[in-house]
Amino acid sequence: MLKPGDQAPDFDLPSAVAGRATRTRLRDIKTELVVLFFYPHDFSFVCPTEVAGFNHALAEFQAEQSAVLGVSVDSVDSHIRWAEELGGIGYPLLADEGGKLASAFGVLDDREHVALRATFILDPKRVVTYALASPINVGRSIPETLRVVRAIRTGRLCPADWEPGVAFGPNELKY
Amino acid sequence: MLTLDPSEQKRLFERLSSIRELVFGIQDGVLTTAGVLFGLSGAVSDRSQVILAALASTAAGALSMAAGAYLGTRAEAEVLKGELERAREQARERPYIVQEGLLRELAKEGLDREAAYRVVKLLSASPRALLTTAEQKMYGYGGAMMGNAALDGLVMGVAFVAGALFPLVPFFLIPSKDLGLTVALGATALALFSVGYFQGWLAHSRQRWRSAVRFVTIAIGAAVAGYLIGMAISPLGASAG
Repeated sequence: MLKPGDQAPDFDLPSAVAGRATRTRLRDIKTELVVLFFYPHDFSFVCPTEVAGFNHALAEFQAEQSAVLGVSVDSVDSHIRWAEELGGIGYPLLADEGGKLASAFGVLDDREHVALRATFILDPKRVVTYALASPINVGRSIPETLRVVRAIRTGRLCPADWEPGVAFGPNELKY
Repeated sequence: MLTLDPSEQKRLFERLSSIRELVFGIQDGVLTTAGVLFGLSGAVSDRSQVILAALASTAAGALSMAAGAYLGTRAEAEVLKGELERAREQARERPYIVQEGLLRELAKEGLDREAAYRVVKLLSASPRALLTTAEQKMYGYGGAMMGNAALDGLVMGVAFVAGALFPLVPFFLIPSKDLGLTVALGATALALFSVGYFQGWLAHSRQRWRSAVRFVTIAIGAAVAGYLIGMAISPLGASAG
């Protein structure tokens, strides 16, 4: 699994955006940060809480100059129908059929041939600055991801559970 | 072939849940009683003693088998009930686990993931429908599996007595011990042949004769073995007397 400090691999994958098929290239994304989250499958009863959760918070991520990308091993057609089922998704759902991208990030479950629930935040140079993987049956916290995005963007030393408005750590300290 | 509507078929499956007790009871009743008759006939010369022992064996065997079937079914039902209760509690607390589990099972059976999702979503409109389908697919539980302990015990006991009557009646009615044994042997073979054939018929097997012959072979084997053992231990009875 890639860790903070590792360069994220560039990718160019078919994707579903606003109900139509297109392609998404990492190098074309111009936002300051990229939140890339992997999930096991479309049409499941756990994943929708995350996929829809990121969609509900999309405006907040965008306000933080961050793009959100969802990735699973399903096809673009599946993503389109799944997004429709969820009432529409405003960010790209990438079709990583075969799991190459998940493999490159080290989050492919070889036994199930699906991506683990993993979240990566990429900095402006598309270097991994945050990486998290959770068990396949446990959904992630979207507010926590947003909190981390906000904390990263400060460029300051942020204590545990830091939220906007809370004091930063001393400037001279690195850790 | 006779076709039944689904509700009749369901009732038939539920009745068939006692088929194990029926077949086992008849088979055991026939074999045990034939074994006692042939075994004792080899060891004891008095015909009335043989009949008395066979009657005692039949009574004890029927009661023991009925009690065993009752307790066995009851224990199985209690364990199953406990497991199902745990599964239902989980379904109440975390329905998505049941939904996801059912989706996986349907996908394993050939539905594509999207179709399986839609089926589970439709079922989820009724928590009861979701749960009973999940119980069948995820835990392999069917309504007939819970059994009826009292019915199973009764079927087993009655079947045992019915089976025992086949060798016992001819031996009791025919005064000649040798002729009685021969006819009892024939009745035993006929009873087991019929049970085997009946079982093959129930299973819609094309090889009903094979099933019937297997039963007869076992019967003859048990009778011959019982007789030989009786012959082997008869000197012990003579020396004790």
